Amino acid sequence: MDASAGTSRAVPERAVATGAALEDDLERLSAAIEHAAHFLPAQGPITTFIHHNTLHAFEHLPFETAVLRGRETLGGEPYLSEARQREALRRGRIRIDELRRVLEHDLGTRAYERGSSLGTRIEVRLAMLQHPPRVGPTDELRWHVAETDALRRIRPEASSATREGLVAETRHWALRDLRGGVGRDGDPSGASALLIEAAGPTAEWSGEDGLEQWSDADWERFTLRVLWRVCRDGARAAAVQASPARAPIRHRDALLAATGVDADTLVHDILIRFCGVWLDQGLARRALPGRALGFLASFTRVYGRSRGWLDGRLRGLKRELRRLESERIGALESIRESLATLGVEGSERGEFLTATLLALRGWGGMIRQLEARGAGTSRGVPAGSLVEFLAIRLLLDRLAWADLARRERGGAGSLATLRSAARGVVAASVEQRAFQVFELSQVLGIAPRVLFELSAAGWASVLGEIESFPSLERRRIFHLAYEKRLYTQTLDALALHAQDVAQPAASTRRRPSFQWICCLDEREESMRRHLEELAPEAETFGVAGFFNVAMLYRGAAGGEFVAQCPVAIKPDRRVVEETTAAPVAARRSVIAASWSAWARREAASVGLVTSVVFPRATEWAARRLARPHPPAATTRLRLERDGDDVGFTLDERVAIAERLLRDMGLVDNLARLAIFAGHGSTSLNNPHVSAYNCGACGGYSGAPNARAAALMLNDPRVRAGLAARALTIPDDTWFAAVEHETCTDAITALDADLVPESHRGAYETALALVVRAAARNARERCRRFLSAPLDLDSKAARAHVAHRALDLSQVRPELGHATNALCVVGRRACTRGLFLDRRAFLTSYDPARDDDLAILTRTLRAVFPVCAGINLEYYFSTVDNLVYGCGTKLPHNIASLLGVMDGAAGDLRTGLPWQMVEIHEPARLLFVIETSRESMAKILEREADIGGMCRRGWVNLATLDPATRAVHVYQGGEFRRYHASAAVLPRAETSHAWYRGRRDHLEFAAIGRA
Amino acid sequence: MTTRGELAWLSGFAVIASPCGLAFVLGAGSLVGARLSESTIARLVKWSTLAGLGATLLVLAIMLGTGERRVVVDLGDWVTISRDYHFALKFVFDRLSVPFALLAYTLAGAIAAFARRYLHREPGFNRFFTLYALFLLGMTTTSLAGTIETLFAGWELVGLSSALLVGFSHERAAPARSALWVWCVYRVSDAALVLAAAALHHSAGGGDFDELLGSGLWPHARALPPLDQAHAVGALLLIAAAGKSALIPFSGWLPRAMEGPTPSSAVFYGALSVHLGVFLLLRVSPILDASPALCAATVALGLATALFAHLARGVQTDVKSALSFASLTQVGLITAEVGLGCRYVALVHLLAHAALRAMQFLRAPSMLREAAPRPVATDLARLARSRSSLYRFLMERGYLDLFLLELFVRPFLAAARGCDALERRWTSWLAGAVATSDAAAASIEEFT
Repeated sequence: MDASAGTSRAVPERAVATGAALEDDLERLSAAIEHAAHFLPAQGPITTFIHHNTLHAFEHLPFETAVLRGRETLGGEPYLSEARQREALRRGRIRIDELRRVLEHDLGTRAYERGSSLGTRIEVRLAMLQHPPRVGPTDELRWHVAETDALRRIRPEASSATREGLVAETRHWALRDLRGGVGRDGDPSGASALLIEAAGPTAEWSGEDGLEQWSDADWERFTLRVLWRVCRDGARAAAVQASPARAPIRHRDALLAATGVDADTLVHDILIRFCGVWLDQGLARRALPGRALGFLASFTRVYGRSRGWLDGRLRGLKRELRRLESERIGALESIRESLATLGVEGSERGEFLTATLLALRGWGGMIRQLEARGAGTSRGVPAGSLVEFLAIRLLLDRLAWADLARRERGGAGSLATLRSAARGVVAASVEQRAFQVFELSQVLGIAPRVLFELSAAGWASVLGEIESFPSLERRRIFHLAYEKRLYTQTLDALALHAQDVAQPAASTRRRPSFQWICCLDEREESMRRHLEELAPEAETFGVAGFFNVAMLYRGAAGGEFVAQCPVAIKPDRRVVEETTAAPVAARRSVIAASWSAWARREAASVGLVTSVVFPRATEWAARRLARPHPPAATTRLRLERDGDDVGFTLDERVAIAERLLRDMGLVDNLARLAIFAGHGSTSLNNPHVSAYNCGACGGYSGAPNARAAALMLNDPRVRAGLAARALTIPDDTWFAAVEHETCTDAITALDADLVPESHRGAYETALALVVRAAARNARERCRRFLSAPLDLDSKAARAHVAHRALDLSQVRPELGHATNALCVVGRRACTRGLFLDRRAFLTSYDPARDDDLAILTRTLRAVFPVCAGINLEYYFSTVDNLVYGCGTKLPHNIASLLGVMDGAAGDLRTGLPWQMVEIHEPARLLFVIETSRESMAKILEREADIGGMCRRGWVNLATLDPATRAVHVYQGGEFRRYHASAAVLPRAETSHAWYRGRRDHLEFAAIGRA
Repeated sequence: MTTRGELAWLSGFAVIASPCGLAFVLGAGSLVGARLSESTIARLVKWSTLAGLGATLLVLAIMLGTGERRVVVDLGDWVTISRDYHFALKFVFDRLSVPFALLAYTLAGAIAAFARRYLHREPGFNRFFTLYALFLLGMTTTSLAGTIETLFAGWELVGLSSALLVGFSHERAAPARSALWVWCVYRVSDAALVLAAAALHHSAGGGDFDELLGSGLWPHARALPPLDQAHAVGALLLIAAAGKSALIPFSGWLPRAMEGPTPSSAVFYGALSVHLGVFLLLRVSPILDASPALCAATVALGLATALFAHLARGVQTDVKSALSFASLTQVGLITAEVGLGCRYVALVHLLAHAALRAMQFLRAPSMLREAAPRPVATDLARLARSRSSLYRFLMERGYLDLFLLELFVRPFLAAARGCDALERRWTSWLAGAVATSDAAAASIEEFT
């Protein structure tokens, strides 16, 4: 059999099976593909960006195992690079004492064992964390030893005492043994031979007083040379551990290693282009003819049936496609055939299929997402498309591989045996092992003589000690210490604050001036804080930003219905925004209309471009040119039940309203005015804009939900229904809705015309305060933008953020969820007056009104996946921006209206761009729940998802007891009392006083007078 | 008059000198390892671009004021061999070059302002602006060139900086591959231009356009009568222009060039360098005039490119490729206009198109907002085979890349490899004569 086995004629006999056995095998294959497909990125179309755990496929594993599995399977880094972590250590973000504590905890009783003559294990590891031994290819190390100061100067990190001690001891040893050894016949230990060799040409030192003439530098050099020789001899004596090299999974890997040609380039060229046109949602004017036939059939139509010219390296494609068609071979059977031809046996299949799918993971994942979503996009994807995609891919793969093998290897060997040729063994060389000891003993001050006297077993233990703490382990420890700093700081702040704040009894509470109900989003934390600073009489609440109104929504501008709710909910109620005035009859011809649309768009972009070059002049011109607009048509949401799936019935609206109010604990003491604030974000030239929108609204603005909630709660019939359920809303309470733009910090009043006369005054006062708070919020945000001067006032800051949204060249219109670190579920009293630096998701929950934990359970069910999803997506996109994130925005190119790819043709990139995560601190989210630890334990036990995430360490958990105000941390399956490590919380009079002049992450502080 | 002449000369010199100085400062800075801060680079770029733009406007004002239609900045002959041959560095401001230089400065300046924020905190910030300076220098040199050698120097700078900008993200394989592709196509076009220059030198003894093309003012210059090689030279120039302007069959490089950061793909290929070929044709239009056959070929090439690009644009599913084919459609039309002898129409078309396209490229990431997804009519009725053949033709971009690859690149590589193998065989055979016969046999076997 020759390499032309890429074509069908050479399908081995064993692939030909019939009847039940075949059915069975196909079923197993289908299951294997389904399993492999789980590893594909789970990101849907970029227009509805939903944050999710990037390593969702490994969520059943403990975090620390999962990140390693992710590294093996997906190729992404588990933690920040060691260089970045060590940089954090240098600037004090990671502290040595915390590293030590993490190591103590990690090693347990083994921490203070003397595992080798290097010292106690913890000391060795601490030294390795602070001064990583150099690793590299053997040749590089040889060069390093020969050409740098490695054998001349002791590492500068070693303290001067260590350095002097090392030199002094070696000197002493040399003067005794070297002198004595010269000319002596017997030298059983070999010490003098070694020293003589290290000392260099005999003539230089053997003379009278030769050694006494040596300078300190000579001795230092001598010490190092002795040390290096001792280490090398020791490493040579110790047994070498060799592990078999990982066999290449795909034939492409073997071919790449052998010939340097990447066969994927050719295959991807065709596949990317075809995926692009097949999945296209309307970017191209002409759709692929016969697209609806499915992936395999339309591929066959294009490459098997039509006339055309094909790259010679894929010869046989047309014949193969026609054969599949004429013999009615389905996708699954074709995959089976390909696997047999490639010699991929049963047990290997899973791994092989996973690697094959992951080779073009963006497009494959998109097919899978659209397949699962079905009608969610305008051009859906039928079920089974991923299997067809895989069948085509394997077909192309084997053709390309066979051709490459034929070309480069003269046709020797079949495809099936291609991979076995490239197996080898990897083992660390003597130099690689010795160098680690060489460098470490300089830092630890281990004299050459000590090492020289080691037995082979002693050397094995020294090397074992070092090699048991490889880079990945070091990064894990660093990461834990990095997180520990954050958690300590956070829990200190919350614990100290909890002791300071006494809960006023409900009966003595005064009626607030107004209530502000916004999303739990961490970007609203500062907004709430500024609002409370400006209006101490006001109250603020945080809930999931869809305000419990799950709906399919279509705006007045038209378009598709979109699901305005968290992804976990599948809404079935349609709500339409309608203009109240009759629309102006448009009776222009199609050509005139499209021409004028085009002209308007192009004309508008003139302004956009001039605003890049002359921002101020453009702004001035825009102001001069702006004429008073005719009042925009007022619109209303249609919430009333009308038909099968339009609107909500009265009962449904009452239920929605009740749950909304009860969940956040807003059941009494309602103010005269309560404002729902949905949030959204707009910015130009930003394909990722949906990721800045409200995650609880499916990647859209929360404004329609805020409107809907207010409309429902203002409805007297709903209020009557609520009263019947023992939830009375005072007659003089009015619910209003606004939209908060997180990018520009603009506040837009919604349905303002509905506000009754009686509430106008209060409404306008409250809105004025909100606008001022938003300007202050903008100023706080500006501290993070390098292009904004640190001394901006609120007005200038508002102008700055507003310009960012309109600036075509701005790749960081806002920073999104970057820096998120904490989620507090509890009363605002736990956090009110705390500066949480826009890092905390804040969910309102009142433990006093939740005896059976029903509210907490359902709140956590919603909050856990959303907040943890955001946090973990940011985590992984930060630690490996190229694999888990989508890299820098610069070369991004919108493809098929579904996502972005790098440059002209490439894989779809998933995850977050570098510009979004640049300032993020990768740390797992810390949940702090205001409840007793017993209640929380109950929930962890009952709720498999929540409990699992905590137990497996994907998030961290702490409770704040509502009665005793004690903090407990969930660790190793139990709650432990947390004692604040600081005595007092830093305090500043206002938020501005605390953050003024600072750009970096800030410590949490108390705000206001003590 | 003299002072005005001197002023014109000085400002003309400044037009070239300011990007030259910028390239020198930024390039030398990185060469000696002095890292300039972002704001310093941005300031340098801003002021030198403004200085160049201002100087061009000043020249224009002087020309309008004095009624002078032609300002020459002659930097002298660099090589002179008897009377027949000289190599001059000369810049000419006339009705063709001034608008083109203004266009280059305006668009490049807008891009500089854009890129300053777009590339903020990007590791390649300094590299981008160094290449920007080289590109701008190349553009101004080409547009103002008064001799074909000067034009070639600018042409080369544009090619080099473009290829390096395509490969801006050189840590990934795809941009490096695309950059190499662009570079190779540019080399073909450069070779054609060099041959044309040599032929012109041979016939006219120098590369000055006024000597080659007659002393009339553009576009009224008339080719000097004894230009017997007009056909050959014209054909070479047409190949050069086709390579640079991505006309058929070189169209494949333009979508591939979209690997760089948005601002660079925007102006550099989409709006400026893709017009250079057309500019060359405009510059040498007297030669075209001399040969109706060449004019016909130019028109045919332009129209074919326009038609192909228009159809291909309809099936592109990523925004940058779609824009690059849309751009190509207009370039094809402009080429046809040049062939038809409508010089002013072509020039105005070129300027308007470059400005519009640059704007569209800058807004490319907004595509998601603007293009609403459209449902497709699901016609499962029998699809004509010809329809999917046409679709495939367009999807594969007219097989143009494949055409170049299979017909030129692979045979060329195979020939080169064959020669290499032959040489090895020879040397090892020669070595075998002195070495032991076993080793020789083994080494011969290895290469056969």
